Amino acid sequence: MRPSGGSWGIISVIEAGPVVQMRLIPIFLFLACTSLVEAQGLPDWTGVWQRVEGNGGMFDVSTTTPPDGFAGTPGARQHPPLTEAWEAKYQANLALVAAGRLADPISRCGTPAGFPRLLALPDVYEFIVRPEQTWILTENGPNIMRIYTDGRKHPPPGEIWPTFTGDSVGRWLGDTLEFTTIGMIGAEQTVLDRSGMVLSHEARIATRMYLTDDGLLRAELTIEDRLALTEPWHVVRHFSRLPEGSRAYDYACAENNRNPITDAGQTLTLDVEGKVIDKVIQHD
Amino acid sequence: MIKALLSLTLGLAMSAVSHAHHSSAMFDKSKVMEVTATVTEFQWTNPHVWIEITVTSDDGAEEAWSIEGLGPNGLFRNGWRPDSFKAGDRIEIRFYPMHDGSNAGGFVGARFSDGRVLGSWN
Repeated sequence: MRPSGGSWGIISVIEAGPVVQMRLIPIFLFLACTSLVEAQGLPDWTGVWQRVEGNGGMFDVSTTTPPDGFAGTPGARQHPPLTEAWEAKYQANLALVAAGRLADPISRCGTPAGFPRLLALPDVYEFIVRPEQTWILTENGPNIMRIYTDGRKHPPPGEIWPTFTGDSVGRWLGDTLEFTTIGMIGAEQTVLDRSGMVLSHEARIATRMYLTDDGLLRAELTIEDRLALTEPWHVVRHFSRLPEGSRAYDYACAENNRNPITDAGQTLTLDVEGKVIDKVIQHD
Repeated sequence: MIKALLSLTLGLAMSAVSHAHHSSAMFDKSKVMEVTATVTEFQWTNPHVWIEITVTSDDGAEEAWSIEGLGPNGLFRNGWRPDSFKAGDRIEIRFYPMHDGSNAGGFVGARFSDGRVLGSWN
């Protein structure tokens, strides 16, 4: 005769043998992690999310002109407080957009979007909250961003170098995750969006993330950059949770990339056999 | 056969090409081309799906065209499936043509012989 209730389940697992027990390990770990997160009073950011602000991924929608302008469309841009020199860089990229020759680094497949652009990507997001660390996973790319909240500081000079997502450390203040990010690779290999907006490797970003009363995940960014900006640039982005049971999938950009980019920045189109379809190939 | 070259507003399917993994500068988004075609292959792949079709040109010749869609992940969440198009399907398909007139385009919408629609068909 089998016992009832919880002990029935425990005995069933014991009787099930090692194969079933091994398969249950991830479930036990998930439950343990969930309990730990809840015990620390951290918020529920589980599930699958997508960006709210669109405009073709324009990073700062609030200053975009025209207001419905899409990143990558000629004439559409945002208006950060750029220094004269970095406004000129942006203007140069906007001219490339107008000519259809802005080479977006992520289009090459394998190059990360980097931070902060990874907060403005299409497809879905997952935010994995642990007391000591939070991960931002983007389906598009994919990209992984690690935010340490275990009390550590940024690495000292000599132990940090420019990377796509930089180094992020922070803390929880109630239900709000606060963190700073430094060490981003900047204009050398990243853009903030397809309008060609760029920051320097000196950028330092303070971010606050929290759930709003209407269930959105809100990210408030204060961007400082002594080379590119004349004053702090404030950008807000939101994410909405998809229905329960939604999944994130592989992205695998190199699986069947039929749009290589030339040295002149032109995006080509290949036919099913890999031959260039384009009748016009641009050159420098 | 090429049925029509429609002039539509930019907003029709702007979002469709704005989520591409690459610039959509090669597409003339001020126009939408509509053709009746036979599907030869459907590539359900990242970073984009591809609908390979043959079209009978005005002079009666068979032409191969490649129509590029968005990524499979987002399309799946919008009702597409790996077998949404099958070789041999007879379809009407709308797409943004290439600026240079080459045989490719950015997917806007498709209507199947049973009336089923994928994408935008207003």
